[in-house]
Amino acid sequence: MLRDQFPGLNNQVHGKPLVYLDNAATAQRPLAVLDAVNGYYLHHNANIHRGVHAMSESATELYEQARGSLARLINAPSPKDLIFVRGCTEGVNLVAQTFVRSRLKAGDEILISHLEHHSNIVPWQILCEQTGAVLKVIPMNEQGELVLDDLDRLLNARTKFMSVVHISNSLGTINPVKKLIKAAHDQGVPILVDGAQAAPHIKVDVQDLDCDFYTVSGHKMYGPTGSGVLYGKAEHLNAMPPYQGGGEMISKVTFESTVYNAVPAKFEAGTPNIAGGIGLGAAAEFMLSVGLERIEQRDHELRIYTEQALQQVDGLRIIGTAAQKSPVFSFVIDGVHAHDIGTIIDHYGVAVRTGHHCTMPIFQFFGLAGSCRASLAFYNTEQEVDVLVESLLKAKAMFA
Amino acid sequence: MSDLNLLYKQAILEHNRNPRNFGKPDAWTHHAEGLNAICGDLVEVYLTIKDGVLEAVHFDGESCAIATASASMMTEVTTGLSVAQWQARFAQFKQMMDKRSQDQTFAELGQVSTLVTVKKFPSRIKSATLCWYAVDAAIHGRPTATTE
Repeated sequence: MLRDQFPGLNNQVHGKPLVYLDNAATAQRPLAVLDAVNGYYLHHNANIHRGVHAMSESATELYEQARGSLARLINAPSPKDLIFVRGCTEGVNLVAQTFVRSRLKAGDEILISHLEHHSNIVPWQILCEQTGAVLKVIPMNEQGELVLDDLDRLLNARTKFMSVVHISNSLGTINPVKKLIKAAHDQGVPILVDGAQAAPHIKVDVQDLDCDFYTVSGHKMYGPTGSGVLYGKAEHLNAMPPYQGGGEMISKVTFESTVYNAVPAKFEAGTPNIAGGIGLGAAAEFMLSVGLERIEQRDHELRIYTEQALQQVDGLRIIGTAAQKSPVFSFVIDGVHAHDIGTIIDHYGVAVRTGHHCTMPIFQFFGLAGSCRASLAFYNTEQEVDVLVESLLKAKAMFA
Repeated sequence: MSDLNLLYKQAILEHNRNPRNFGKPDAWTHHAEGLNAICGDLVEVYLTIKDGVLEAVHFDGESCAIATASASMMTEVTTGLSVAQWQARFAQFKQMMDKRSQDQTFAELGQVSTLVTVKKFPSRIKSATLCWYAVDAAIHGRPTATTE
């Protein structure tokens, strides 16, 4: 069984079997990933792209193979189009500072959406402060879907860049990114897609999407924490200046001047998270071996089941009811604060997140301080959803 | 008694259901907002301080049962205290809720002492302490407080 590949799921909390429904915060990792990370430290522990010795060569090969696995997962034209980063946050900041900043003057506009994670809001606000540019936002409706009626007005001659989330981490909404990318390109606007929640759940094909940039966070897609990749079209990556200065990203340094290394090394200053990168490659291979179609099918089944199961809890309201949705359920219950729900159901082994999920503007829209969020992965079961529902009923009873 | 019942004691549930001194008063002299944004706990406090005495202590906001009950209990125990007395109680409360301290309670804190068992749930200590830090902020003229 696939579930057996995830030893973290066998833990007990408060003497109860763990019911891990906090996958949007971070996923569990399969043995293949743990073995790859451990295997590097045990058998290939050396720095990469430097030594002539055998272990340095084998470590370098593993690291570059991992880049290749990631490229296959998201169908990038070449592994060289992928930059290893710490996660989507770093990916967005890198693009903001090295691609977008030099294109901006005061009064220019950057377009994002109401569904963004703070990590796809704040880097642009910093950039706006630095340049005098203005941040514009595609609105959303009560279902938590983007409203595209005014997109023509929002995408205009002043718009210099667009950055949108593929799947909302707090509501699960799957955005019509292909349509948004086409609309941006029709206006000559380059676009980044934040794929933190998409990569673990759906097939991502950056060539089919035709996005300019796409970011993936390793730990959300069953890989190690502190790992991730940024995909960029080669023409952009080649033209962009480096993000950070240091070792690895240079080809020649004198005190007078420095010649930068080629892409992707140009963007990978310093010794990288080698074990993390290798582990992330193993996560990509794991997902490819499971099959994205199978993952999507399982997501669909779990989403339908959970949606219906949660209806057994009187006074529970699901926040975010988009037609196109990932198995993420933000909800509130009349008379019980999300924080209390989280503590009580943890007592029954159920791990969820409570609060604003780093998307405060979404909750401002709904007039809420936050929610409880159950986010599922393909390894979750219908029985686990039943435990969630039972524990919610107990929480309600306690506050009755 | 299971651990969960140590957190959600009857007294706490009762104060959460019927919080005392809850609601924005018509007038006040000092105000601050206690906000734990990550948890989604908001406690606004409204004080009427005259001649160095807390004549009235009110609160409102939207927060979890622990934060709400703690604020409710705090308003009952601190109304009528001088600012100096309030500060002494605050010091005792901080000592009681300190993770490193023994489960020591103080007679002066009255029903507030029941919150000592919240320490068994370290992630919830910040809920219990939010209202006290908000009052401290209000007394010192700071607009906001957080315990996150």
